Amino acid sequence: MPYDSILNWIVFKDPMVNPFYNVYNLPYDIGFKLWEILGGAIAWLINLIFPGNGASKFLVSQEVTGILALVLMVVVIFAVAFVINLTMIWEERKVLGRMMDRRATRVGPLGYLQNLADGLKTFLKENITPSKADKKGYMWALSIVIGTSVLIACMIPLSDRWFIADYGAGLLIIFGLFAIAPFMILVAGWAQNNKYALLGGMRAAAQMISYEVPMLIVFASVTLMAKSFNINDIVAAQVGMWFIVPQILGFIVFMVAAVAEAERIPFDLPEAEAELVEGWQTEYSGMKWGLIMLGDYFRGYVACALGVIMFLGGWMIPFTSWNAIPEIVFLLKVFLIFFVFAWIRAAHARVRTDQILWLGWKVLLPLSVINLLIVLALKIGGMV
Amino acid sequence: MAEMWLTMGPQHPFSHGLWTLKVLADGEIVKDAVPVIGYLHRGWEKECENRPYPLIIPMADRLCYSASMTWSHVYCKVVEEALEIELTDRTKYLRVVADEICRIQSHLMWLAAMGTDLGNLTVFLWALREREFFLDLNVKLCGQRLTTNYPRIGGVRNDMPYYFERDCLRVVKRFEKAIWNIIAMMDESAIVVSRLKGVGVISRKDAANYGLTGPTMRGCGVDFDVRRDDPYCNYDQLDWEVAVCKEGDAYGRYRVRIEEMLQSCEIIKQAMEKLDKLPKTDPTRVKVPKNVPAGTHFARLEDPRGESLMYLISDGSDRPYRLKVRSPIFVNVSASKHLVDGVRIADIPAIMGTIDMCLGETDR
Amino acid sequence: MTIKYLDKFPRSNARTLWVLKPMWVTLKNMFKTTLHRPVTIMYPYEKEWVPDNYRGRPGLIFEKCLGCGICKRMCPTTCISMIEVDGDDGKKVDRPQVNLGRCMMCGYCAEYCPVNAMIVTPDYELAAYTREELIYGPRKLAWPKHTEMMQVHLKEHLLSDLKNGVTDKPTAFYSIDRPELNDAKCIGCSRCVKVCPTGVIEMYTKGENAAGKPIKRPKFDLAKCVCCQNCVDECPKDALVIKEVL
Repeated sequence: MPYDSILNWIVFKDPMVNPFYNVYNLPYDIGFKLWEILGGAIAWLINLIFPGNGASKFLVSQEVTGILALVLMVVVIFAVAFVINLTMIWEERKVLGRMMDRRATRVGPLGYLQNLADGLKTFLKENITPSKADKKGYMWALSIVIGTSVLIACMIPLSDRWFIADYGAGLLIIFGLFAIAPFMILVAGWAQNNKYALLGGMRAAAQMISYEVPMLIVFASVTLMAKSFNINDIVAAQVGMWFIVPQILGFIVFMVAAVAEAERIPFDLPEAEAELVEGWQTEYSGMKWGLIMLGDYFRGYVACALGVIMFLGGWMIPFTSWNAIPEIVFLLKVFLIFFVFAWIRAAHARVRTDQILWLGWKVLLPLSVINLLIVLALKIGGMV
Repeated sequence: MAEMWLTMGPQHPFSHGLWTLKVLADGEIVKDAVPVIGYLHRGWEKECENRPYPLIIPMADRLCYSASMTWSHVYCKVVEEALEIELTDRTKYLRVVADEICRIQSHLMWLAAMGTDLGNLTVFLWALREREFFLDLNVKLCGQRLTTNYPRIGGVRNDMPYYFERDCLRVVKRFEKAIWNIIAMMDESAIVVSRLKGVGVISRKDAANYGLTGPTMRGCGVDFDVRRDDPYCNYDQLDWEVAVCKEGDAYGRYRVRIEEMLQSCEIIKQAMEKLDKLPKTDPTRVKVPKNVPAGTHFARLEDPRGESLMYLISDGSDRPYRLKVRSPIFVNVSASKHLVDGVRIADIPAIMGTIDMCLGETDR
Repeated sequence: MTIKYLDKFPRSNARTLWVLKPMWVTLKNMFKTTLHRPVTIMYPYEKEWVPDNYRGRPGLIFEKCLGCGICKRMCPTTCISMIEVDGDDGKKVDRPQVNLGRCMMCGYCAEYCPVNAMIVTPDYELAAYTREELIYGPRKLAWPKHTEMMQVHLKEHLLSDLKNGVTDKPTAFYSIDRPELNDAKCIGCSRCVKVCPTGVIEMYTKGENAAGKPIKRPKFDLAKCVCCQNCVDECPKDALVIKEVL
């Protein structure tokens, strides 16, 4: 075989013929083809210089392509989640700007690049670590908060072909990772050696624990209805009827709890800037703070996506089976829910600590239990 | 959690200006509080002793950035009392209009700050948007947005320009509609109402003991307003009502201020009518002597924040011997310990926001 | 309880959970600002209209100025000083120089100027890199596009006039207050002549003293005087006072 043309190296094999994935996965396909182009080009170049070497063939062999396709797939999924996140921040800023009667973002077309400009600005800020802070707790807590936020954002599937892994635990592990951050916020608040941060961390812990419970009960009722934790199954169970119809109570409870979990107005007590300077983020400066903000929006994205998956039929279009690009449908629903989040932020003030706990334990918890009872009744009655 | 002293201020988002509230916090509950003021002390009263009388007017503007009109008014009033000058009707109504514009824009500034204190940025921006129209009126009337320098001893700086009446009535008409949007944002929101209701309660008796004045006092049921009960500038010839609220909590103070803004609109409209009836050529300023006869005088009027009072000792020269300022916020802030005792830390901005801090006049 | 605005605005306990009205209001505003742009003025690119009487930095109409120094006297922050510059005809003249780093834009200089040479200008963009740049000399203070509104006219009425019912004779201190000579105190040093910006003071010989030297006394051309008080301040024996007309 001559191997003289680059087309001999880039052959676009079938991505399904690989030892790692056996269901069609769009990001894996993209990663596979990317590596076909990238690895093929590298192999061709090496082969031009050293004709007939083994390294070139190794680079385009099936196993190496599979492994590097996995790596590229992760990059693709993260990049897409990141772009979605930037879009959501842009959307929020635009909506807030319109509602508050002011100009919002200005950099780039329609102000879309404002986030990048702000990111650059935070990146150039001085990175200060307080000398009296507990260094390990300070950095680790931050890393885990941001890390889990990014991780769950990447774990959200955009459609039945855009996922990082299709596994039985599904939503359960997303909820598990979602609930880690509050405890790390408590650690961060303690480690900063700052009274405001400490109060913010305590508030975060109290608030998140009280909102975790109704959220998980609603989640239980949804999984009960869908008979599975798997995201694909939950979405597939909503083909005939979205879960929002029988579980409107659960949807409301979940959305309120999701706003609280994402630490957004009106439930942004841990970072209440009026009384606690910046809450638990007070001593984080520069890009650390920028990453915290990014992580917050990742959590907001996850909260919206969970709402869409659990109640709004995921990537399905109602009343039709036609669905050319399910990812776009899913994202449109996410952006719609996030619009409501931004809308609530524009319309409402911050609630007080006792009120938020009152709402969590005395209103949302009973409502979520009622929702569970409704689902149980439907189940027993054989309606679903 | 053990008790800890939390220092809120002077570079804290809740303190509108440079002051500190040291709070003894037991977890979230406030056990004790110590207000600390004096960061903005400029020696204002001493400075005045070295200046001729007319040159103090621009300095009186600087006592409070959002109530400059009333502060220079009270200064002019005390010197006029020392000189025993009677103002013309046109001057009086011009001062009424200017004062009420100042009151509305000051209350809107307070409302905006209230919005951010409660975490609602929309109220902040909407209130500042409305305020901008009143600042434009200030520009048209006397050429400057905040430091108006409009009243003069024995009159006002200039008569209103010919287009002022039209613009003023338009702005007031627009404001009377637009305020309902902000009221809907605040009063119709269960969150805001539940944040404000029942916190920072002060009784009539305590208010009297602390010497509170202004909307803080009227918020707890004391029916007193200098404009009505010790009338100056023909306020007694206008038909308006004093806003009084019995509750004495933060929500009561909030409602008093909102109502005061609407009453101010009424006053502006009526004063404009009266101005319309007066001949256009009426004098707006009289020539006053340089030297003020020796004696002690005081004048008071209703500031947006309370009762502002100036006490003048003159010795017959062209500068005051002593000029004492009674600042309403200096007195009101002394009640802050009483107000925040036992509330949560989250309530402190809501309570102190309704006091409407202004540190320029407090520290002088 | 006179909170009248609440009458238009009934609240009931059933609406405790009423959180939808603010959302409706903000949504309305969103549609409004999407159709018509937000009220924000994009400041460096577009500027707010300011009326002509806007009190920005002080301006000076060089040829009108007398160099009397009333602006310096009336400046609350003493940021005006009189400096000698070359006039249009080559002679040295006194003109005000303003230190804008200290100026607080009160407009007193324009208000009290007897010839309306000091004006208020709508120029508020005064940032500079050094403090020296902020010291505006008489030529730099010029504002060529000045209009009638920028000259603040001082219109005072006399209390005596008002008592007599005369309300249409506005005047100002510079047109009626005049210096008055206490003849017994005067030593005829003629310093007042030197400091008078308008040149209304002349020395005349009143007679001869015991030693046979001429007794000189100042004579005022009161029509041209602007009551700048320079002669009063300069007089070594306090022989001159301003006589105020009230």
